Amino acid sequence: MRLIEGFHVSKNFGGLKALQNVDFTVEQGEIVGLIGANGAGKTTLFNVASGSYPPSSGTIRFKGENITGLKPYQICQRGLARTFQIVKPFLSMTVLRNVMIGKLFGKDRLRHREVAEIEAHRILDLVGLSSKAKIPARELTLADRKRLEVARSLATNPDLLLLDEVLAGLNPTETVEAMTLIREIRQGLGVTILMVEHVMKAVVGVCNRIIVLHYGQKIAEGMPQEIAEDKAVIEAYLGEKVEL
Amino acid sequence: MGTRKHLLGAVGLVLIFLCLWPLLASDYYVSVFLDLLMWIALTASWIILSGYTGYISLGHAAFYGLGAYLMAMMWTQIPYVFAVILAGMFSAGFAFAIGFPFLRVRGPYFVILTLGLTEITKYIFINLEIKLGGTVGRILMMTPGLHTLYYSILVVTVMATATAYFVKNSRFGTGLFSIKEDEDAASALGINTSFYKWLAFGISASFPGMVGAVLALRRSYIDPYTVFSPIVSFQVIVMAFLGGLEDVEGAIVGAVILTLISEALWARYPYTYMIILGTVVILIVKFMPLGLVPPIKSRLIKAMEKES
Repeated sequence: MRLIEGFHVSKNFGGLKALQNVDFTVEQGEIVGLIGANGAGKTTLFNVASGSYPPSSGTIRFKGENITGLKPYQICQRGLARTFQIVKPFLSMTVLRNVMIGKLFGKDRLRHREVAEIEAHRILDLVGLSSKAKIPARELTLADRKRLEVARSLATNPDLLLLDEVLAGLNPTETVEAMTLIREIRQGLGVTILMVEHVMKAVVGVCNRIIVLHYGQKIAEGMPQEIAEDKAVIEAYLGEKVEL
Repeated sequence: MGTRKHLLGAVGLVLIFLCLWPLLASDYYVSVFLDLLMWIALTASWIILSGYTGYISLGHAAFYGLGAYLMAMMWTQIPYVFAVILAGMFSAGFAFAIGFPFLRVRGPYFVILTLGLTEITKYIFINLEIKLGGTVGRILMMTPGLHTLYYSILVVTVMATATAYFVKNSRFGTGLFSIKEDEDAASALGINTSFYKWLAFGISASFPGMVGAVLALRRSYIDPYTVFSPIVSFQVIVMAFLGGLEDVEGAIVGAVILTLISEALWARYPYTYMIILGTVVILIVKFMPLGLVPPIKSRLIKAMEKES
């Protein structure tokens, strides 16, 4: 089943064409990687898909419904969640409360605090933050803040999760842990994932399919192996052939 | 559970005391308490928007003045109680009408915009009054007695503090606090931030409308310069920062302390009182940025945990 489908999506900021007629799809159950150099339009694509701002032209359909121009909260409540590249934890709230907010206001819209709390604990277990549930988010390390960012968006119970560079700034051990977590989210929770990532090893390691953006245009799409050998991608982004 | 019972008991005792106060005290002390209650109502209602979402509003004076003028227009035409309720509803309605464009701007721009709102409403009323009556001020005749006004303000204050309390502990309040922490993240997590801010703005504006309506009768003379004075907004903000602007206890403590200090200093040091007050406020903002209540509260909680 086609979960999200972007058709001729463009976004201009004044004279800057951040996205130009980009078509993209993500099928249910996939993990799709979105790569490209800085300024290629990856985060813009996320912002347009999650409703931070509307596209200049083009349409986005999610689960068959046209969501173009909807507000972020409406899109979240329909089952599309995102994380932010620069994480935005609610710093003075506890880790638990951060995650409960996803449960209370996301797709589930739980009415009862007690139920939300139990469900939030389950998600904290999954991402490995349960021992830190009671401390304020401001006391977390960057790696833990990134876990929290993922946990909070998972708490909205999404069908599709957009992960914006969750591996950036993590050390090798943390990166491996995060990759395991991403796989678990797909397998354990059945959440489809579209992820922006620069760490090529990780992209190739977890993604079924990769989309490459360059100056706002889609220049390639395919299996990780194909992308790594694609001439246009090597020229535009990778610089040299990547050993897989 | 035990603490909750104690809390309810304490609130009940305070309420009984406040109800009996006019029977025990002289008119001077009743009017001091009327002032006290008025500032509590204004501050507690102010934190519903500004304390919980971080949208610092200087617009409270606009709604206060609006309420006062509505009362001046309705006085002797409509029964007193209805006039107060109507003033509150009208203030909330006005806030709802201007809320969507106003709440699109954030941070310091919102502060400036709401300051402008107070000024604009002031000049609208100045011009309106000159057109209608030829003069600017209004004298209100046959106003209710001190005790009636005291009990009216008491009711409004109880409503404002209860609303601030229940909003904070509700799902709605959780949404408001998320907006304060990070509005974009709140929106991405499914919170309808525009609607939440708008609703908080309207609720917050209804109380200064009612307070203004009652206080117009208390003063029995109003003009736009005094009822739309930005000092009202400033005073509310100072009280909230003094006590702590994230919960109703802070609003109450801040309002009580500042009103009592003002009252005491005003009589004894009429010339230096503003300087003393300013110094006190600077010291508190500098050394207790969260206000007086949160640090004391967390210490109390820790002490109680130790005991049990």
